[in-house]
Amino acid sequence: MTLLVAVDIGGTFTDITLQDAATGEAWTAKTPSTPRDPSEAFLTGIGLALQAAGRAAGAITRVLHGTTVATNLILEGKTAPTALLTTQGFRHVLEIGRADLPRRDNLWAWRKPQRPVPPALVFEVPGRIAADGTELAPLDEAALRAAVREAVAAGARAIAICFLHSFANPAQERRALALVREEAPDLAATASSDVLPVVREYERSMATVLNAGVMPAVTTYVARLERRLEGAGIAAPLLLMKSNGGVAGAAEIRRAPVQTALSGPAAGVVGAAAMARAAGVPDIITVDIGGTSADICLLRGGAPGLTQSGRVGPWPLPLPMLDMVTIGAGGGSLARVAEGALLVGPESAGADPGPACYGRGGDRPTVTDAHVVLGHLPPALLGGRMALDPALAGQSIRRHVADPLGLSVDAAARGILAIADNAMVGAIRLVSVERGHDPRDFALVPFGGAGPLHGTALADLLGMRRVLVPPSPGVLCAQGLLAAALKAEFSRSIALPLAAADPARLEAGFAALDAEAAAWFARESVAPADRATDRVALMRYAEQGFELAVPWPAAADPRPALAEGFAAAHHALYGFDLPAVPAEIVTLRLEASGALPAPAAAVLPPGADAAPIGRQAMRLAGGTVEAGIHDRGRLGAGARVVGPAVLVQMDATTLLPPGWTGSVLPTGALLLERAPD
Amino acid sequence: MSACDPVTLEIIRGAARAAQAEMEALLERTAMSAFIREKKDFYTAIFDAEGAMAVGSDLPIFGDITGPVTARYPLESMQPGDLYWYNDCYGSRGAVSHSNDQVFLAPVFLDASDDRRAEGPGGLNRPQEKLDASDDRRAEGPGGLNRPREELDASDDRRAEGPGGLNRPREELDAPDDRRAEGPGGLDRPRSQPVRVGFVMGWAHFSDIGGLRPGSLSPDATDHFQEGVIIPPVRLQRGGETNEDLLRTFWRNSRFPVQSEGDTRALMAAVRLGEARLAEMAGRFGPEVLADAFVQLLTRTEAIVRAKLRATFPVGTTRFADAIDGDGQGNGPFILRLALTRTQDDRFVLDATETSDQAPGPVNLLMHPDVPGMALGLYFLQGEPGQVLNAGGPRALDEVRLREGSLLWPRSPAPLGLRGLTMMRLLAAFHGLVAVARDGEAPAAHSAYVILALRGEHLGKRFLLSDGVAVGYGARPFADGVDAVYFVAQENYPAEFLELGYPVRLRGYGMHRDSGGAGRFRGGCGVVRDYEVLCDEAQVAIRIDSVRNPPWGVAGGKNGGSGRAVVNPGTPEERLLPPLSDGTVLRRGDLLRLETGGGGGWGHPFDRPAEQVLQDVRGGFVSPAAALRDYGVAIRDGVVDAARTAALRAQRPAAGLFHRHGYADAVA
Repeated sequence: MTLLVAVDIGGTFTDITLQDAATGEAWTAKTPSTPRDPSEAFLTGIGLALQAAGRAAGAITRVLHGTTVATNLILEGKTAPTALLTTQGFRHVLEIGRADLPRRDNLWAWRKPQRPVPPALVFEVPGRIAADGTELAPLDEAALRAAVREAVAAGARAIAICFLHSFANPAQERRALALVREEAPDLAATASSDVLPVVREYERSMATVLNAGVMPAVTTYVARLERRLEGAGIAAPLLLMKSNGGVAGAAEIRRAPVQTALSGPAAGVVGAAAMARAAGVPDIITVDIGGTSADICLLRGGAPGLTQSGRVGPWPLPLPMLDMVTIGAGGGSLARVAEGALLVGPESAGADPGPACYGRGGDRPTVTDAHVVLGHLPPALLGGRMALDPALAGQSIRRHVADPLGLSVDAAARGILAIADNAMVGAIRLVSVERGHDPRDFALVPFGGAGPLHGTALADLLGMRRVLVPPSPGVLCAQGLLAAALKAEFSRSIALPLAAADPARLEAGFAALDAEAAAWFARESVAPADRATDRVALMRYAEQGFELAVPWPAAADPRPALAEGFAAAHHALYGFDLPAVPAEIVTLRLEASGALPAPAAAVLPPGADAAPIGRQAMRLAGGTVEAGIHDRGRLGAGARVVGPAVLVQMDATTLLPPGWTGSVLPTGALLLERAPD
Repeated sequence: MSACDPVTLEIIRGAARAAQAEMEALLERTAMSAFIREKKDFYTAIFDAEGAMAVGSDLPIFGDITGPVTARYPLESMQPGDLYWYNDCYGSRGAVSHSNDQVFLAPVFLDASDDRRAEGPGGLNRPQEKLDASDDRRAEGPGGLNRPREELDASDDRRAEGPGGLNRPREELDAPDDRRAEGPGGLDRPRSQPVRVGFVMGWAHFSDIGGLRPGSLSPDATDHFQEGVIIPPVRLQRGGETNEDLLRTFWRNSRFPVQSEGDTRALMAAVRLGEARLAEMAGRFGPEVLADAFVQLLTRTEAIVRAKLRATFPVGTTRFADAIDGDGQGNGPFILRLALTRTQDDRFVLDATETSDQAPGPVNLLMHPDVPGMALGLYFLQGEPGQVLNAGGPRALDEVRLREGSLLWPRSPAPLGLRGLTMMRLLAAFHGLVAVARDGEAPAAHSAYVILALRGEHLGKRFLLSDGVAVGYGARPFADGVDAVYFVAQENYPAEFLELGYPVRLRGYGMHRDSGGAGRFRGGCGVVRDYEVLCDEAQVAIRIDSVRNPPWGVAGGKNGGSGRAVVNPGTPEERLLPPLSDGTVLRRGDLLRLETGGGGGWGHPFDRPAEQVLQDVRGGFVSPAAALRDYGVAIRDGVVDAARTAALRAQRPAAGLFHRHGYADAVA
C-alpha cells in the first residue's frame, strides 16, 4: 500500500491532501497556518487528514512539500549574513553586476538594488584558473583561512565560494570549501561548482551567495519538519519541490536549497500537466492566477520546457526552472488612473485589506471588484463563508476609475478586466509565439483562485477554442506534488565549435555527467528500473549569446544530427537560420529523473445536468442577461452547462459567458468549448 | 475618426510594449556581435501611419526616423512587405548620428495582417523564407566568423570610389523627391490600396561596417567617409523580395562579414515580427481607433512634458554651458552652450547656436532638432509609469535653434564616430539647465561611457574586442548616483566570456575608488578594468572624456573623478595614454589599466551621515583619506571617530551651486 501526503503551506491556511496511490482515493484537510513555526500546522494538518481517512501515521509512505522559505528570504532581503570568497581582483563582481539597468526603467530615476552581500563581506583570495581550466596560480591557502576568520569576525553566518572559471576546473573551489569547513565548521558553506557550474561570473556568484544565504534557514526548517515527522511516527521520506518541477530528498535540498527558490509556481504546473494528461489533452498553456500575480507556462506533449533565465526579485538565478513567465496581474491587482491613463497592477491589495467587496476596509478597486460588479462571482465565496458586497465594489470603481475617466461603472469594470486580460495575453504570447508555437493549437488551463474567471476571456482574445478547468483549480499545487518525479540536472560548460568537438570527448563529458547522475540516483534511492536520463546540448551560433536546447542524437558521431537539429530549432523559434555560420556547443546537460509511483486517477461517476442552485444578473457589454449559478460539486461526469453561467465550488469560481459550453469529463475536469462562429 | 476610449488606449499601449519586448528578445537571442547580444545596443519603436514615433525606447537619441525614408519613397508608394534601411547621418539630418547604427523600418498595413493570418499556425512568427537565401553565402567559402578577408581587402574596389565620392556635395545625398516618378509605386500598386497603419523600427549598432579602422569608429578619423560605408535610405525589400545584392555589398564592406550578416538577419526578423504585431493590433482595434490611440499617446506625452517645463523654468532665458575636453587630435576644449527661453506666452525655444565651432576630430554630434525634446522628455517622464517617450517630447519645444558649422550641427563631411561622448555631456547639460532654474534640484553630471577597442591577430585570426565600460552616474536630490552603469540597458562582457573569446586575461575588475563625487548623496563610481595582453601584438584605441573637465557636482556636491588609461602601471615602463587615442601598440604580457570616471555629488558632503561614509569606505567606494578630506569623517580602526568627525565638520566649507575643481556658479 502506498499512502502519500502533500502539504501546501499558504499565508493563511495550510492545505493537506492525503491520497491512497492504489485507489486514487483522496482526503483533504485545512488548518490555519502557523507562520512562527510552520511545521506545527504541517503536522496538525497531517493528523487531521489521517483522522478523516481513518489511517495510521505509520502507513504514510511519502511526504511531499513545496516551500517558499528560500524565495521569501531572498525577496525580503532576509538571507543570512553571507561572506563571498572570490578571485583576487574581482571583489566588486556582485556590485557591478552586468553594468546595466532594466530596459524599461528610467536612467535618471533608477536605484541600484542593494546586493545580498555587501562588498565589505567579499574577500579576495589569490589563486587563478584559466578559461581552459589550467591552473595559473595556486590557491593561497593561508590567505583563504585568514579571510574566513575575518568573515566570521565580521558576523558572517554563511560562506559562498565563487572563483573565476571554476566551471572549467573546480579543484580550487573544492579545496577552498574543505578549508572553510575546517576553519568554520558551524557555518553554512557552498561552492559555485556545486550550485551552478556554468560560465558567467556574475550570475554564478549570485546563485552561490543566494544558496549560502538561504542555507541556514532552510536547513533549520527541513530539520524541524523531519523531527516532527519522526516524533509523529512517520518514517516516510520527505521530498521537496524544486524550481525544475521535480522533487528531491531533504538531504539534496540542504546541499543546494536555492533550487527551491523558483519552485512556488512549479507544483501547480506539474499538477495541471497531470490533470490534462489524464483528460487526454497533452498540449496546454497553463495560467495560474493568484492574488498578486499570474504565472504562465506552455506544455507540449505534456511536458514543460526548462529555462536557465530565471530571476528572483531583481536577481538572476540561472538554475534550471520551468520555462514560465510571471506578470504582476492577479485578482487583488489595484486599478488606478494616472495622468488620464487607466493602470492595473502591479500593486496589489494583498490579503489585508483585500478587494473593496470584501468589506474589510479596502477602498481601492481591484480586479475582483470588477468581477463582482459585472456579476461574474456569486454572492459569497468559500462555500458561503465569505460574503461579497457589490455596493462597495461599485463605489470604489466609481470613485477611482469611472468618474475620473467619465465612464459608467460597468464600462470601467469591463475596462479593468480588459487591461488585466491584455497583460496576460501578452505573457501567453511570450511563452507561445516567441517560442515558436501557435496558441490556437493548445488548450488553456486556468487555475489558482482567480484563473477560471479569466479563462474564456483569454481564450477568446487568443483564438483558443478549448479551456480545461481542473477539478479543484484552487488547490492544484497538492496535485502537482503528488504527481511529481524526482528530478535533477547535471551540466558542464564546454564552449566548443561543433566541428571541432571530438565525439570521444563529448561522450566522455556525458559519461562524467552519467556518473554524477548515478551517484544522485543512489543518494535518492531510485531503483534502476525507475531511472531515466536525457542528454541535451545547449547550442548557439558562434558569437550568439543565447543557447537553445537540442536533444542529443543517438549516433556514433552526433555532430551532423546536432547541426541539423539546432538549425531547425533556430528556424522554428526565430524565423531564420544561418547555414554559413558555425554552430557551437556551449553546455552539455543531463536531465535525470526518478519515477515515483503515480497515484491512480480518480473517476467521477456520471450524472445528469444538474439544475442551477440560483440565478444572478450578468452584465455584458451588450446588455444584462440572467445567468444560472451551478454547484460544481453536484455535476457528474457527462453533465453539460451552457453559458451564460457561473460555476461555484469551494476554491474557485468558473465564468461561462454566452457562446461557451461546459461539459464535465470523467476525470472531474471541466472542458469549456466555444461554439463555432 | 473613431475615438479611442481610455481603456482601449491602455490596452494598445500595453500591446505595443509587448510587441517591443518580443522584438527585443528576438534580437538579443539571435544577434552575433557583442555590441548587440551582450551590450544590448539595440532599440525598437512603433510609429503612427504618418511616421511620428508613438511608442519609443527610453533612449533620448532618436531624431525623426521615418522622415528620411518618406522623403525618398513617398508614403503612397509603399507596399506590404517593404523594408527600408539607412545609416546615413548627414542624409538623415542626424536621425542616426554615427554610421554604425543601422535603421530598419517597415511600413505596416492592415491587409498584410490578413495575408499573414492566412498563412496559418506559426505564420505570425514564421519567417520570410527569402531571408534564408543562403546559397550565395555558402559559395563565399570558409571565411569563418571574425575572419576578415585580407586577400579580398586589397584596395582596388576603393579606387573606384575615387575622390568624387568624398567631395560629393551634401545636397546630392539628400536628393529629394525628384526620383519619385522612378519608383514603381505608381505602376505596380495593387488595385485595392491596403490601409497603412504605422511603421515599426529595429535599430542596432553593427560592430564593423568598414572604414579607417576595425570597428569603424576611430579617434583618428578626420572625415566622415572614413567611418564606414554609408547607406542612404534604400528599399531593402519590395513586397517581401529582398535585394540581396545590396546586402552582399554591405557585408563585403565589413571586416567581419559573417557577424554583420548574422546581425542583419536578426534585425530583419525582429522588424518582421513587429510588423506582424502592429498589423494584428490594427486588425483587432481597427485602424482608426489605433490611429487615435497614437494621437492620444503623443498628445499626452507632449502635455506632460510641457507642463513640467512650465513648472521648472521661469519666463525668461535659462543658460547652461559645459565643455568636452577635446577631439583627440589636439583641439579643444569645445563648449556646449544651451539657452532655454520661455516666452511670456509660454513658448519654449532651445538655442544652442553659441556652441563652439565643429571639431576636426570625430566628436561632432549631428544633433537632430528632435533630440533636445527627447532628452528633456526622458527626464520629465520619471515616475510616470503610464506614459511613453515618443515624438510628443520634441513637440513640447516650440523651436530648436542650431548653428551650421558648430559642434552640434557640423557640416558634412566632418567626422562623427565618437559623438557618444558629446551626447553624454549634452544630456548632463540639460540637467544643468534644470539645476540653474531650480537652484540645484537636479541630478549632477555623469561621465561619458568609455569604449576600448583592442585588435590584432591571434592564432592566425584577426580579432576585434570592443569593450564598452561602465562609468558612474550623477547623484540625485533623492539618492546616490548609480555606480558602474554603461548606459541604459547595455550589459558588460563577463570576464569569463572575454577570456574564452579573446587573447586577453582580466587581472582585475572593480570599483574605481574615490571616483564618485562627494556629496550628501554620493556620485556613482566608475570602474577599473585591468587587461593583460596574451597575443604577440595588439593595437588599442580608447575613448575617455571628462578628464580635464570632470562631471560637475551640484547643490554643494563635488565633481566626480576622471578616467584614464595607463599601460603597465607601477612599473618602470608605466605610460599614460592620451584619453582619446588610437594605434597604441601593446605586446604580450603588457597590462592595460582602464579607469573610468564617476558621477558628480549632490548636496554638501558634510551632510552625509558618517555611518554611510563608513560603509562606503568599507565597501571600497571611498578611501579613508577622501572620507577625511571631502566628508570630514575620521575613521579609526574601522569605526567612525565621532569626536574628531564632529570637530572636522564644525569647520564646514562654504559651497556653491556647481562644483568642478572648486565651487562656482557655472562650470564653463
